[in-house]
Amino acid sequence: MRSRRDLPLKKDIAARFVPKIVALMVYLGTLCLVFTLFLVHSTHVWEKQFTMDLSIEIPIFSETPPNTIQSRVLELLNRTPGVRYATAVPQKEMATLFRSLLGEEVSTGLFPLPVIIDVSLDGKERIDTHVLETHLKNISPQIQLVDHRAWQSQVSNLIHTSVWLALIVAFLILFAALATTIFATRTSLLIHRQVIEVLSLVGAPNSYIATQFQMNAFKQGLLASSFGSFFAFLTFWGLSSLLEKVGFSFIVNSSFFFYAICIFVFAPFFTACAMMLSVRWAVMKALRI
Amino acid sequence: MSSSYAILCKIFKKDKFVVSELIAQLIGVGHQYKDGPEIFKGVTFNIEKGSFHFLTGPSGSGKSSLLKILYLGLKPVWGTLNLFGEDTLKMKPTLLPLIRQKIGVVFQEFKLLDHLKVVDNVSLPLRVRGLETRRGYKHAQELLDWVGLGDCFEKYPPSLSGGQKQRVAIARAIITRPQLLLADEPTGNMDDEMAMKLLHLFEELNKTGTAILIATHNQRLLEKLPYPQFTIKEGTIVKLITKKVR
Ligand SMILES: Nc1ncnc2c1ncn2[C@@H]1O[C@H](COP(=O)(O)OP(=O)(O)O)[C@@H](O)[C@H]1O
Ligand SMILES: [Mg+2]
Repeated sequence: MRSRRDLPLKKDIAARFVPKIVALMVYLGTLCLVFTLFLVHSTHVWEKQFTMDLSIEIPIFSETPPNTIQSRVLELLNRTPGVRYATAVPQKEMATLFRSLLGEEVSTGLFPLPVIIDVSLDGKERIDTHVLETHLKNISPQIQLVDHRAWQSQVSNLIHTSVWLALIVAFLILFAALATTIFATRTSLLIHRQVIEVLSLVGAPNSYIATQFQMNAFKQGLLASSFGSFFAFLTFWGLSSLLEKVGFSFIVNSSFFFYAICIFVFAPFFTACAMMLSVRWAVMKALRI
Repeated sequence: MSSSYAILCKIFKKDKFVVSELIAQLIGVGHQYKDGPEIFKGVTFNIEKGSFHFLTGPSGSGKSSLLKILYLGLKPVWGTLNLFGEDTLKMKPTLLPLIRQKIGVVFQEFKLLDHLKVVDNVSLPLRVRGLETRRGYKHAQELLDWVGLGDCFEKYPPSLSGGQKQRVAIARAIITRPQLLLADEPTGNMDDEMAMKLLHLFEELNKTGTAILIATHNQRLLEKLPYPQFTIKEGTIVKLITKKVR
């Protein structure tokens, strides 16, 4: 690497602040990406857990006895295409639910409990909830149809928006780091213009000069972003063990953890390459004039 | 000094550039610095392969500027400059380094890189052409011996005297065995004895086929050497004076 030391780039003022800024940016950027990944992963987990797509509430007080309504509703649902299964939530479970809501002292035997029917959709056939609702209202006008998919998709949208926002923030952080690198390179070009002039006068093509700058940027970038990424990893480790204590046990053992580690490992290489390319671009552009 | 010709021949073998008979052709070249006076105008002359010329004229007459135009460090305001068959004012910018690689320049202010060792300075032109550092060092050592600075290999330019720096600059200028050597007052910082020795080095280099143009206003040297001169007179015209043999 002797031949690459024709420019004293290591002693630049820029060499002092660029690595610090890059380290900070990579720290923020990787955490931002890992957070994005966490959101994506959580959505998947959560969507998998949500198999119940619709629920139907059969009112307690009506002219027809609840049991008759229940069997008629179940019969209707089992006839409806697109329904995988429909089951009534057992009264015991309902009682437990109510007790946890109202307190132990309240005896649930005192009043009848509403019947809730979980409906799982097979996802193949589109189900028209309006038509279904009309059919249910024919059985009893008090029946309530709750479509979880509505709020489920709202939450999904929210998460998707967050994912995009986080990605945009990560991109902006990268952009800021590269802009800093380019500005520093311009300063460096000014500082070393006499050396560059001599190199050029002894016949160095612009690409030779640019190579010196880009190799320096790559080394500097790799070192600085490894630092940033390492501290981001420590932060991530700290936060996830904290979350685990609070009850999120799925972090360390999941595929998410593996992908997060990949981000921490590859971010420095990616940043260093991006810095190298933008420095080359800046130098070639400046030398062409 | 006897081995110098062999050294230069060795370097010569690596030179794959097409050799044209006419190295430089100036047609009506004139220049004027921004907000400055016109320094010369209508300069027309040729530099042939293997020729040896002096460029003379009083201080401030534009010798350095003319050399700067020749090594493409300055664009002339008027005229045409052809180098190695290329019209330098109309050629593609990517050709610039290729043309400069055929020209060795000893700058009046040396232009050595202070942060590099003498050996790195001398081998720089080989490095920028992609030659291995180790082989560049071998050539550099040979050339440093040639200019009498064999023991300054590891030193840095700031620790050298003016004359030593000048010789390092000369070694750097000729390490690629250029087709054209431009030297701006190359003996300005040394006594006449050392100056004569250096001029003999230039003569040896000339024998290998390098065209040489030396800018100087050292009259004693001019009297001792029988080479033709281009003279900048009254700041406007360049004349060729064929000298009588000493
Ligand atoms: N970069 C420059 N900008 C403006 N004027 C310059 C510049 N370089 C040289 N000159 C002027 O051009 C004239 C010729 O200078 P120069 O070529 O150095 O002459 P010489 O080498 O013969 O002494 C001088 O009057 C000098 O002041
Ligand atoms: Mg001068």
